[in-house]
This record gives sequence, C-alpha cells and structure tokens, in this order.
Amino acid sequence: MDVSQAKQEHLLALKVMRLTKPTLFTNLPVTCEDRDLPGDLFDQLMREDPSTIKGAEALMLGEMLTLPQNFGNIFLGETFSSYISVHNDSIQVVKDILVKADLQTSSQRLNLSASNSAVAELKPESCIDDVIHHEVKEIGTHILVCAVSYTTQYGEKLYFRKFFKFQVLKPLDVKTKFYNAETDEVFLEAQIQNITTSPMFMEKVSLEPSMMYNVTELNTVAGGDEGESTFGKMSYLQPMDTRQYLYCLKPKPEYAEKAGVIKGVTVIGKLDIVWKTNLGERGRLQTSQLQRMAPGYGDIRLSLEMIPDTVNLEEPFDIICKITNCSERTMDLELEMMNTRSIHWCGVSGRQLGKLSPGAFLSLPLILLSSVQGLQSISGLRLTDTFLKRTYEYDDIAQVCVVCPYTNNEC
Amino acid sequence: MDSEEAPAQRPVTLEITVEDATAEAPGPDPPKLTISQTPLRENLLPQVESIDLGGEFSTPQEDSSATPSESLMDKLNDQMMESVLISDSPNNSEEEDDDDDVAPMDSFLDAVEEEDHFHETSVDKEEQGEIGQNTTEIEVTVEEQEKDSSVEKVDEETREQTDTEEQVISCVSLQVDEHSPSDPNSGEPSLLEAQETKDYSVPVCTIFSHGTHPKSLVPDGFQPTLIKSPSFSMGSGVETSEAVTPSKLMAPLVCQPSPSLSKFFNDNGHVNPASDFFDSFTVPSSFISVSNPNADIPPGATPASIAPTPERQLSSTSSSISNPGGALDSGAPTPSSVFAPSESTTKAQPPPSQEAPAQAPAPAPQPQPFNTLQAVFSGSDDPFATALSLSEVDRRHDSWLPSEETRKLLISVATQQYSPAYVETTRLTMPGLKFDNLQGDAVKDLMLRFLGEAAAMKRQVLTANSVEQSFTGLKRLISSKNWRAAVDLTGRLLTAHGQGYGKAGQQSSHTTDSLQLWFVRLSLLTKLNLFQNAELEIEPFGNLDQPDLFYEYYPTVYPGRRGSMVPFSMRLLHAELPQYLAKPQEALDRLHNLKTVCLAILENLEKGLAEDGSMITLTQENRQGSLKLWRSRLSRVMYSMANCLLLMKDYVLAVETYHSIIQYEPQQRVQLLSGIGRIFLQIGDVKTAERYFQDVEKACQMTGSQPSHTTCVLMNRAFVSLSQNNYTEAHASFTEVLKMDPKNPVANNNAAVCLLYLGCLKESLGQLEGLVQQDPALYLHESVLFNLTTMYELESSRSTQKKQALLEAVACREGDSFNTQCLKLV
Repeated sequence: MDVSQAKQEHLLALKVMRLTKPTLFTNLPVTCEDRDLPGDLFDQLMREDPSTIKGAEALMLGEMLTLPQNFGNIFLGETFSSYISVHNDSIQVVKDILVKADLQTSSQRLNLSASNSAVAELKPESCIDDVIHHEVKEIGTHILVCAVSYTTQYGEKLYFRKFFKFQVLKPLDVKTKFYNAETDEVFLEAQIQNITTSPMFMEKVSLEPSMMYNVTELNTVAGGDEGESTFGKMSYLQPMDTRQYLYCLKPKPEYAEKAGVIKGVTVIGKLDIVWKTNLGERGRLQTSQLQRMAPGYGDIRLSLEMIPDTVNLEEPFDIICKITNCSERTMDLELEMMNTRSIHWCGVSGRQLGKLSPGAFLSLPLILLSSVQGLQSISGLRLTDTFLKRTYEYDDIAQVCVVCPYTNNEC
Repeated sequence: MDSEEAPAQRPVTLEITVEDATAEAPGPDPPKLTISQTPLRENLLPQVESIDLGGEFSTPQEDSSATPSESLMDKLNDQMMESVLISDSPNNSEEEDDDDDVAPMDSFLDAVEEEDHFHETSVDKEEQGEIGQNTTEIEVTVEEQEKDSSVEKVDEETREQTDTEEQVISCVSLQVDEHSPSDPNSGEPSLLEAQETKDYSVPVCTIFSHGTHPKSLVPDGFQPTLIKSPSFSMGSGVETSEAVTPSKLMAPLVCQPSPSLSKFFNDNGHVNPASDFFDSFTVPSSFISVSNPNADIPPGATPASIAPTPERQLSSTSSSISNPGGALDSGAPTPSSVFAPSESTTKAQPPPSQEAPAQAPAPAPQPQPFNTLQAVFSGSDDPFATALSLSEVDRRHDSWLPSEETRKLLISVATQQYSPAYVETTRLTMPGLKFDNLQGDAVKDLMLRFLGEAAAMKRQVLTANSVEQSFTGLKRLISSKNWRAAVDLTGRLLTAHGQGYGKAGQQSSHTTDSLQLWFVRLSLLTKLNLFQNAELEIEPFGNLDQPDLFYEYYPTVYPGRRGSMVPFSMRLLHAELPQYLAKPQEALDRLHNLKTVCLAILENLEKGLAEDGSMITLTQENRQGSLKLWRSRLSRVMYSMANCLLLMKDYVLAVETYHSIIQYEPQQRVQLLSGIGRIFLQIGDVKTAERYFQDVEKACQMTGSQPSHTTCVLMNRAFVSLSQNNYTEAHASFTEVLKMDPKNPVANNNAAVCLLYLGCLKESLGQLEGLVQQDPALYLHESVLFNLTTMYELESSRSTQKKQALLEAVACREGDSFNTQCLKLV
C-alpha cells in the first residue's frame, strides 16, 4: 500500500454487523389494583406499551424482536452470519465497486462474498448489501477481511480494507468412558458439558458407530409412545451443566464371530452433537473417532454363555462356559476344577478338552453346587495348555445368588 | 515464496470432510495460506463489532465500548434493555482463552489494536491518524475526517432530502440483494483469489502453529474427547485441554444510579423548599382528615379544613362511610389529598406557612353529606357504629394474614389490653426518603449536548413543580410518563407527612395515603429501573409484617377497621424487587409467602369463613367478590413467580408456573401458551415450541375466531419460521398480520427486523422510519428505536444526525422517564 492513500478520503463507508439471532424484548411489569392510588394508570400504561402482550400484560417475555446488541460470543460449530453494508457517503456516483469479504482463520482463508462481480455504479446515499454466512470450523482467532475497491467519477481507482477480529470459543466439553461388559458389548458413557454462557438445547446427541458395531442409545426410559428422555421433558443444558449419555455398542455378528475377539485399539465411532440456542441459533459438532482399547483376554478367553442368577443351596446347577482360543496357535487344553469354600464342582477334574485351533471356541457345560448362602463367586477353573505347559486361572468368573429353599416354606 | 513453509509448520489439521468435502479438497490449502499472511501487515481491526461505529464521535463511544466486557458477555442472553451497550467481548475472551499457541499472534494484534478507533477508545484521533499513516492503513482516519466535516455540513433540510432518496433507492437495493440470504453457507471454494497473492513473509507460520498439548489426565477415568466441527478430520490442533471455561454465570442486574443522586445525598438535612411549599397547604387541614376521623380536632378547624377538599372524602379509603356501597370510586380525583397524622405526630408537623391559601386552590365549599356523617363519627368510639361501618370492600381488599406474633399484638391492641405506645421501636416501621430528588431529564441533557441550548430550551415536560401538589398532580405526571418528576412529587408529599429525607428510623405514623404514596414511589423507581434506590427505601418496611402497618394498630384513628394498610400491590412489589437486584432466590421466597397467604385466604373463603378466618357471615355476593379478587391476586403472584423463574433461567419451573396460571386465568390461555412456546424457542427447543403453538391454535379454534387470536397464531408461526432460519417465511407471516391489523406495532417492527436479516437494510430502515414518523405514539418505543438506531449505524457514517432527529421526535412526545440509552447517542 502506498502512503499517499492514507490521506485519501474514501467515498464509500463499510459497515459490518454480526447477525446473531434477534432477541425477544422483555417487559418489566409493575401493576397495581384499581383501589390503589394510581387507579388503572399503571395498567393503562402497560396496555399502551406496544411491547406487552395484550390481555396478559404481566407476562414478561414479549413478542417484540430486537436486533443483537453486541457481538456476543461465537462458538465452534455455529454459523457466523454478518451483514456487510457499503454505503456511498459522498455526493458523487461511484463506479465499479467490488466488495470482497474473506475470513482468515488460523489455517486458511475463505471467501464469503455472495458474488464476486463488481457493481457497476453506486449513487450517493445508496448501499451495497451482503449477508454472509459461514459455519465456523476452527477454534481461535478469526479475522473478517473486507476489501472494497472502486473507481471515482474522475477515474481514480481506490481501495481500502477493514479487519474485524473475533475469537471462536469452544462450546462443549466432552469426556468419554468405556465399560466392557462380560459379553462383547461395550458401553460408552459420554459426559457433555455446556461451557458457554447460555442455555443450550441439545437437539441431537447420537453416536455414529464405526462399521464394526451396532449402537443402542440408552437415553430414554421405555414407556409412552416414543419413550421419555432420561433428562426429563426439557432437554436443555444450563451453562456449566454436564449430562451423561449412555450408549451400548454390540459388535456386528460378522465381526463378533471372527475369532470372537476384537483386539487392540478399535475405533468405536464418533459422537454427533447438534444444539440450538436463542431462537434456533444452531450449532453442530462431531467428536473425533472415539477409540477404545479392547480388553486383553490373554491367550484363552473364558466367558459364560449361560448361568442362573439365583440357585438353591446345595442343589446342583448348570452353567455353560465358552472357551475361545485367542492366541495364534493351536492349544491342547486340560480342565481342572478346584473347589472353594463355598463352590463345589461336580464331575471329574483334569479332563482333556482336546485341541482348539486359533480363533475357535468350544462350549463347555459344567455342573456345580454351593454350600453357602448369599452371593457367591464362581471361581476355581484352571485351563492348562499341555503344549506349552501353561496354566490359565479363572477366578471370580461370575456370581450367583444362593438361597435356601426351605426358609421360604417355613414362613 | 516461503508460503510453502506456512502449511509445513502447521499440522495439517483442518481437512474439511463433511458437506463441502468434495468442494474443499486439501489441495487448495497451500495457496490459501499464502494469503494468510496479509492481514498481519495491515492495520488490524481486531474484532467484529456488531455495529461499526466508525469514526463517529470518539469520546462518546468511550462509554459504551469501554464497558468491561465481562458483564457484557454475561448479558448475552439478557434481554433487558439496560444492556444496550455497543461493545463486545473479544478482547476479554482473548485474555481468557489465549493459549500459548496463539499468543504471538495476539500480542501482535494487540499492538495493532491501539489503532483501532472504535475499540481502544482512549486513543485520540490524532494518535490514530499517525499510526494509520505509519501502518499504511487509511480508513480509520479518513472516516473520522469525513464524519466531522459532514456533521457540520449537512443541515436538516438536506437530510430530509436524503431520507426520501434513500427510500427510493431502497427498492433497488432490495432487488439487488434478494438472493444473498439464500446463499449456501460458507466454505464454497471460491477461495483462490489469485490476484490477492502478495508477497508477504510475515511470521505467520510461527504465530499460527499450534503445539499439540498433552492431554490432561482426568482422574475419574474419563478421557477428554476432541470435539470439532463435523467437517474436520482427526488430528486438528484443537484440544479439549484448552478448555474455555467462562466462569461467570449470572450477570447481576445492575441498575444505573440516578444522575443527581449523589448530589442530593450531600445536602442532607437541608430543608427542601418544596416541602415548605407543600406543608403550607397540608398543615391547615392536617387536623382533620377522613382517614383520621378520630383525630383530635379543634372544633374551629373542622369546617375550614374540610371545605377546600370536598372530593377527597370520596376517594378516601379510610372509612367505610365514604363508600357504603362497596364499590370504591377510585377514579375520583383527589385534588388536594391530605395526610392524616395521628396524634403522635401532629406535633411534628411544621407550622402553617403563609402561602397556604395561595397554594391550595380552594374550590367552592359544597355541602357534603359526608361531612355531617364525618362529624357524627369523628370522636365517636362507639364500637357498634364503627363495626357497622366496616365496609365489605375494605375488608376484602385489606385482608391479610400477619404472622402469629403480629396477630397477637394486634388483638391485644384491639382489645385495649395493650397500648401501641408500648410497642418496642424495633417492631415499628420507620421509613424515610433515602434520597431527595431525582429530577433530571435525560432527554434534555442529550439535547443540550447534541442539539444545543436553544433546542433544549424548547423541551417542555411537566415537573414536580408544574403540577398540583396532590394525588391529581401525581397522576398527571404518571400518565404523561414523567416518572422522575412523579417520584419527586411523592418525595415532597411524603416529606410533608413527616417521612421525608433523613426521617428513616424516626417514629411517624402511617395512613392509608402515606402507604399508597410509598407504593407509587417504589413502583415508579422500579419502572425507572432504579432498583437499588427502591431497595434502599423499602428496607425500613422490613417484611411488611410490623404491627403498625395494620389498621388494628390504630383503633382510634381507624375504629373497627381491620387488615393491612399496605396495599397488596406493594407487597407484591416488595417481593419482586430482589429479583432485579440479582437476588432472585429472595424474591422467590417472598413470592411464595404471598402465595401461601393468598391460598390460605381462598381456603378460608371456601370454608365459609371471612378472609382472615373469622366467623363473619358473608353474603353470597360478597363471597364471590372476595373469591374473585383473591384468585386474581393469586394469579398475579404466580405471574411474578414465573417471571422471576424466567429471569433465573429456570425454564422448567417457569414453564410449569406459567402453565398453572391458565387455571386461574382461562381467558389468558392463548397468550400464556404462546408465551411458553416463545420460552422454548428462546432456549432453542423448536419442536416443543411448535407443540405449544399447536395447542394455541386448538385453543383459538375452540373460542371462535377472534382477530387477536388469529394474530397470535400468525405471530407464533412467524417465530417458528424465524427459529428455522427461514426469514422469508417469517417476514411473510408478519406481513400477513399487518394485512389484518396494519397498525400492529409488533408485527411492523418484527417484519422490519426480518428484512434486515434478508439483506434489505434500506427497506427495513424505510419501514421503521415511516412508522416512527407516522405514528410516534406507538413507535417511539425503546425496542423500536433501538432497532432503528442500530440500523442507522449500519447504514451510514452519518447515523448520529439521524439519531438526533429521533431525539427531537422523542423530545416532543416523551416524558422524563424515557430511556435514552436506546438512542445510542452516547
């Protein structure tokens, strides 16, 4: 830029106003009764006030829209809208006006102008208007760069720019936690905190699972037509409030059966969050891919396919164990059953289960009984791989509730 | 160029994947980044202002834009008009969330900020000019110069010309811009502005490069999760650990101090000439009053004092004789209402002044039947007669359930076991003015400042001096919206009653009228948003439960009369007040107390008892009247509770409370359901709002088609469209309202607002301007003016002149209570 321009008076003026949603005007109702000194004066004043609700003047929230009063905050995922007005302040006609609006983020520069063609001429006191929209996708400093170039009636080409800086803030804090169920299900707990200063209506918080999983949302309570949200009737989040969303992920059968094992780090999916604030101001964010370290099962995984929850004291009951070879080699397995203080296994200990190739599994029905009442832990299974002479211990596989069948009768 | 280095230093983070994924392949990134350096060379205006104040008056702006941005951030969702301040918070937010990664850039920007004329207001013009030259940026200085010259140049006539011109042009601009709002969002890849590539090798790269922060460990096993816009892929430098946590949640509602307050606090003890003046006519008649029938009346004074104030008795609420029929004539003027000091305070009254006859206009004495009645009763302590006189209406309105302690004391006073004289002073109410005078007329002050002394002299508003020093004068001031003057007048009247400035903590007696005056004064202070002042003055009243606020306390002054001297509306105001002072919990507590009393009284009535639970047989008609009154009071309390909850942003309870009002006020069903719908829109829950609006439509169908209901339905539709970002549709709905009700100010204003969002500034301006000119009575409302001035600021650099024109319009019509902030002149 040359210095001479600095002294040049510009014929055009550029004005920018951020268009957040308008707000509803709020009244301050002060009423009195007919018998009071002002009589119906207060009521009359309120009736005459155009911003009150006729017939319900004591209702604070009016219908009058007011334009945004300040720039406000802008959050990641929201749409930045702005009015750009170029006004001819001079008394001469200005020609070939080109208005360009660019948004400079920390990484890129975006053109936001609706049209890039020049306006042929602008008469005095008239405007070129543009409303720009941009969904903000980055946090941090943004600079709106508005450039205006034009030609005066004397053919002089002039150019000026204006810069408007604003900060894009983070609206939400998301924390996640995984719980691995005994079955292959994975539960995802997502804590979402509103770190803005205004209430937020969570329109959608959904988990988009990766290809390996099916997802069930556990955020509604069954009953009613479509189930009531666990968060109550009004699904909004006050500033700094946190809310827990729970999802259950089941591996798709084709993946579950493939060795019955999902090993190592797997991609679970991502959370898709859509919120709205004042008068439908919308924002949308996605988390990064959520990753989960699948629990290591070692070489052999023992899971339960069937187990009763309540059994009678000293009465044998059946369980079915599923033994999966998670290693890369074939195993030759031998089963030992060790009695504990309360759990007594039936059948022969030390029997051969035969060979199990990698990824294969076998179902093993077993019988046992408990000699102690109460919640008992099933422990004492030992699997030995005779090839490598390695023993795997399985304790606290599951719990059963042991009750005495006679006490009920006596009562 | 080293442009290639810029992308290299940054982790490639911002790959846009979603909607514009195809459009915005990573390819275009490097060229973009070349351009990215350009702004750093320039004079950066570091923030988007909602309104570009340009180079207009730099000093006035200091007030608005230099306001601490914290409060503004908090006020984001605050719809109160007090927050009409043009400023924004980026500065502040920078401080909050600036991490090391962006710090270099910010520090750079901060340095440049000082050149920013509307931001760093302390910088004066010359300084700006210099810097502007140094940094090869121009528009800052230019605009100011332009502005300065133009202000002087353009006189009224030319401006009017231009106004009309604008309207013509507005049509054109509308057509031109019709398409702009429908434009798809952002990221369309017209980004490569080849001609923009200038050779800049400013250290952007380092400035922008984000370091990847180590993720903070969360103790509870949660791991922070990266969030970002859907269109981002993983690995952007954005971290959850750099959490921005706005800590301030509730913005205290600050009320602006009255301009002249400090001044008046200084001259305490100084005799206010106004009170002398007032005393001059109250004193002669202070020995007799309808509200004080048993006062010790010197026989000679009676006729003289009654004579000038015949009407007063009609409106007196003190004695049932004045309104035996029950329906109290509230409309009756009380030209020279008089206070009735009880015996204890008579001595406190200043001596009669000389000017008395001149000040108190004496209407021709008329024979008054009440006079004779009055004479009969005055001095009489026949309990039978007084019991008879207890009017139904008085009982109905004054009923109250004081606390047990107060009730016992009142009973013992009534049964003459206990003399009021022995009540400890801590149990007494001793109010007094806490400030003397508000005076002040902000409109006139602004005129002085912007339009000169000559124009300001033309402004004529009623003042406390220019009206009768009575209830009539007070009403005139209130209805002409000169509330500040009205507050002054209440001050004078209360001073005359012995509760003037500095009298707080001194014993004085209460009468129906004095409490009504207090109520009016406190209401007006509240209406003027002078909440702190109101709180100061209501404080001596405690919780409005002191025995001396009940009629039973004055068995000789108000024989046989029972119940609360404090009007119900004042109790309500007392309960509401804390919510405006950021103490909503206290307000809720008080409102719940009121609700409990209302419910107890309604229960008593339904059980066949009198309001206070006593075994008085009421006629059916009276019972119905009482039930009706107390139900309406209950619903008013509920309204206040709901409003308070809304201020607290407890939307769940607010909605519940509003909903419960429908049972008391079935005729307000449509308004209430619409209001609830709007609350849902406010929090962003459009679907639930629509459900409520459907209920509204059903309710409207049931009641038949009233025009007001059709309007309501259309308005609701418009708000839904607005919330769906469909401004075209919203505008159409508002326009439809206008077809039926062309004068509807809300629809007119809202349609204009929609036009702005549609990119039709001139048209929107034209509409609002036209309205204000055609129908100033309706449109000189602060919300409309606020919108209008905002648009002026957006439209032209000469907004100040246009605002001044508005100021003139305001000056012709509005009283001293006009909120000048909406003109945004300062």
